[in-house]
Amino acid sequence: MSFGVPTALWWSLLVIPVIALYILKVRLRRMPTSTTMFWNQIFDEKPPRSIWETLKHLLSLLAQLAILAFLVLSVADPYLPGQLKASRRIVVIVDNSASMRAIDVEPSRLAAAKQKAVALVDGLRFGDEMAVVLAGDHPTVALGMSGHAPTLKRTIEAIVPTDCPSSIQPAIDLGRRLIGTHPHGQLVVLTDGCSPGSEALLGQKDVSLDIIGTLAGNVGITQFQVRRSLIDPLGYEVLTAVSNASDGSVEGRLELELNDVTVDILPLKLAPGETWTRSLEKTSLEGGRLTAALTKMTSPAAQGSEATPFQDPLASDDRAYAILPPRKIQNVLLVTPGNLFLQKVFEANRLVNLTVVKELPTEWPPDTIIVLHRLVPQKLPPRDVLVIDPDGPSEAWQLGDLLENPIITQQDAASPLMTHLKLDNVTMPKARRLTFTDPPHILAGAVSGEPVYASFPRTSPFKGLVLPVSLDEGDLTFRTAFPIMVANALSWFGGSSGELQPAVATGAIVHLALEGVKPDGHDPLKLLSPNGATKPVILAPASEGDNKPPAATIGPLEEIGIWEVGEGDTDPKVVAATAVNLSNPLESDLRAPDSVREAVERPLHAAAWFTRPLWYYLAILVLSLATVEWFLFQRRWIR
Amino acid sequence: MSLFPSDFLTRVEYLSIISRRVFRGSLLAQRRTMQLGSGIEFSDHREYAAGDDFRYLDWNIYARHGDLLLKRFQEEQDLHVYLLLDCSRSMAFGDGRKFDLARQLIAAIAYIALADLDRISVMAFTDGVVGEFPLTRGKARILQLMSFLERMQTGGQETDVGAAVQGLLHRGSRRGMAVLVSDLFDPRGFQRGLDQLRHRRFDAHVLQLYRAEEADPGLLGDVELVDIENDSIRKVTVTERNLRSYRELFTAHQSSVREYCRNYGLGCTQAEASVPFDELILRMMRATQVQR
Repeated sequence: MSFGVPTALWWSLLVIPVIALYILKVRLRRMPTSTTMFWNQIFDEKPPRSIWETLKHLLSLLAQLAILAFLVLSVADPYLPGQLKASRRIVVIVDNSASMRAIDVEPSRLAAAKQKAVALVDGLRFGDEMAVVLAGDHPTVALGMSGHAPTLKRTIEAIVPTDCPSSIQPAIDLGRRLIGTHPHGQLVVLTDGCSPGSEALLGQKDVSLDIIGTLAGNVGITQFQVRRSLIDPLGYEVLTAVSNASDGSVEGRLELELNDVTVDILPLKLAPGETWTRSLEKTSLEGGRLTAALTKMTSPAAQGSEATPFQDPLASDDRAYAILPPRKIQNVLLVTPGNLFLQKVFEANRLVNLTVVKELPTEWPPDTIIVLHRLVPQKLPPRDVLVIDPDGPSEAWQLGDLLENPIITQQDAASPLMTHLKLDNVTMPKARRLTFTDPPHILAGAVSGEPVYASFPRTSPFKGLVLPVSLDEGDLTFRTAFPIMVANALSWFGGSSGELQPAVATGAIVHLALEGVKPDGHDPLKLLSPNGATKPVILAPASEGDNKPPAATIGPLEEIGIWEVGEGDTDPKVVAATAVNLSNPLESDLRAPDSVREAVERPLHAAAWFTRPLWYYLAILVLSLATVEWFLFQRRWIR
Repeated sequence: MSLFPSDFLTRVEYLSIISRRVFRGSLLAQRRTMQLGSGIEFSDHREYAAGDDFRYLDWNIYARHGDLLLKRFQEEQDLHVYLLLDCSRSMAFGDGRKFDLARQLIAAIAYIALADLDRISVMAFTDGVVGEFPLTRGKARILQLMSFLERMQTGGQETDVGAAVQGLLHRGSRRGMAVLVSDLFDPRGFQRGLDQLRHRRFDAHVLQLYRAEEADPGLLGDVELVDIENDSIRKVTVTERNLRSYRELFTAHQSSVREYCRNYGLGCTQAEASVPFDELILRMMRATQVQR
């Protein structure tokens, strides 16, 4: 036997005063009495102070000594070698993914899982240790190895559900690392089985699966995205998918709202297991928050009966959100001696406020993109500039000789300026060779390496693009690539693409550009969750010479809804937002695979007996003996 | 506190008046003996026998009827009251209140008797006679008696009522009233002494005193019981059950005293030692009245 606190054994010296006090105690009290004739009648029947009487006193002393011994032992915290060898390391993995919010089990799947976890804590034996790992979007150790039951229970009670997909296998891997090489390691997974690869868990011998939940059906929005139309500057396209993860047909409708104004209501009729997918085209200049909601969901009626409301146990996927970026009107000053195609490509863009002049103005209008066709001043205007087919040198380049028929062989596909562009096989005769003052960024180049379309560095914050190609000689203006190229350039000058601000799945980490936020001297930035909770936001460090607006990385975003980044302490001004949806068919399907349900063996809970440390039982012994000694002292039990 | 406070005699005088007014003739006052003799009050006639005094022949009846009848007269005698005071150490148990009460009772009864022109004698005893106030009469003697009682102290080895009565009888005492004031913790049995009084036709009355601690000692656990009369020690372990047995035995003892007195026509008064002596005297008188 070993002791946790061996110095406590010094308390055993208390045996000396105990014996001394006992000796003092056995000196009987002298009680004078008028006559002993009555007492004699009583005690003559049985000899007083018999051997048994003496023995009772001895028992009393022994009880006192035993009390002291057990008390000292309990304070010394003894433990047996076998206890340590038999102790277990249990990792309880609690799935707190979105599907665990389902209420097909009262009060919810997660609450049931927590109850089972608490039962596991109650079943811990002395020396056992338990860790709690959450298998949400990413595995998280809620509590490391601990044998303290109250702390474990508090940790389990504090588990909150997320809207994220589950990560059971990574959590198991994490749990294995927590167990290490312990010979009695055990992994207990409390999940609903609605996760990828749940069947693969069955083959893992050190994993005990406990499946929570029923085969409840669910209908959910599994895809919801919106983007600006590439064709219609005012238009946008909505991609939505609704899955029926139930064994019966479901009817209902999908309501779309933009800034709380209904834009469409679509009837739904879903067969069992069907996924309904649609791409819808709508128009809006201002953009805003788009919401999709499943409403009026019913199970179709059998013949001769009314339709019954569909009992949807999971509310998380009944709504989905997206953010439609607003379109920004841009002022464009086109300086050209005359090119109808060029003028029309800007006029056709409904987001452009175009002014056309034939000569270089003396003053450049503010907040305007300058498009210089052929006419180029030596000193470029202090604005964003798109130069097409320059006829002379400028501060940024020197004009060289002609390239007769350059063939574009290289293209920077990663650049937003080249989005949706493919310039292969486009002939660009009579392109000008340019010798740049500072090295340009070539967006499209000829086989000789000469830039055909390039951005060149300018004094911040101005940007410059040059397309040294004759529009009159080639067929670029006839191609659909040209308006796209112009639209990309305008978007690039505008600072963002403006086409797509994708809704992300729960648990994602998002890099958000914060328009209008000064890199230096901005007010405190906060991340506002859909339920109103706030977290501080720290700007990502900007690289030197980067003209991009400041950005921040936020996440993981574990809650469905619109997350916003606000600037300012009170009443923060929203500078960026992103939509977060469940968008996970596996989480929306609340039915665990049959193979998992059938193969699962319930984890064996430890017996409730002898789950306490040895000192606990010693303390109980002390209490019991103290009671015995009290009776012995009072002699109430005699005869 | 003095054994006989200043108002003691006043209270005793009051008791004396009460006893005469309420219990006249029933207890002590002016008893007439059944002895016929030279009294002045006619009793009855009897046949003349040779040797009788001619002076007591009823000449009127002889003249009228020729019968020789002798007139008999009732002789009037004073009553002898013997007061037996238990001076054993058990009477001083606790704060000695029991012994004080006993002496007050002796004094009070003696005063009442002396006031009725009776003779009283006080005999203090433990395991034998340890003190005696000789037979006397006259209220004036009460102060001497009180002084005698104040001097009395508890002592001896054990209570022995039989020895006390034996001492009384050995002194050739005339029949009369005997009042025994004691706790009757007599290991040989209180009946032995009372039997002798009864057989000698004493008019006996028992005043038994006890303390509440004697009726219910309230002892528990391991104790050394010290008998204060004989200093014997007994080591015992007292349990609740023992206590119950003790209470039952004590109650049985008290009952046996009452039963004995009722069976043999003795007056009996039992009281806890905290009862005032005058109240106890009245209680005793009532008991005697009922008995008669």
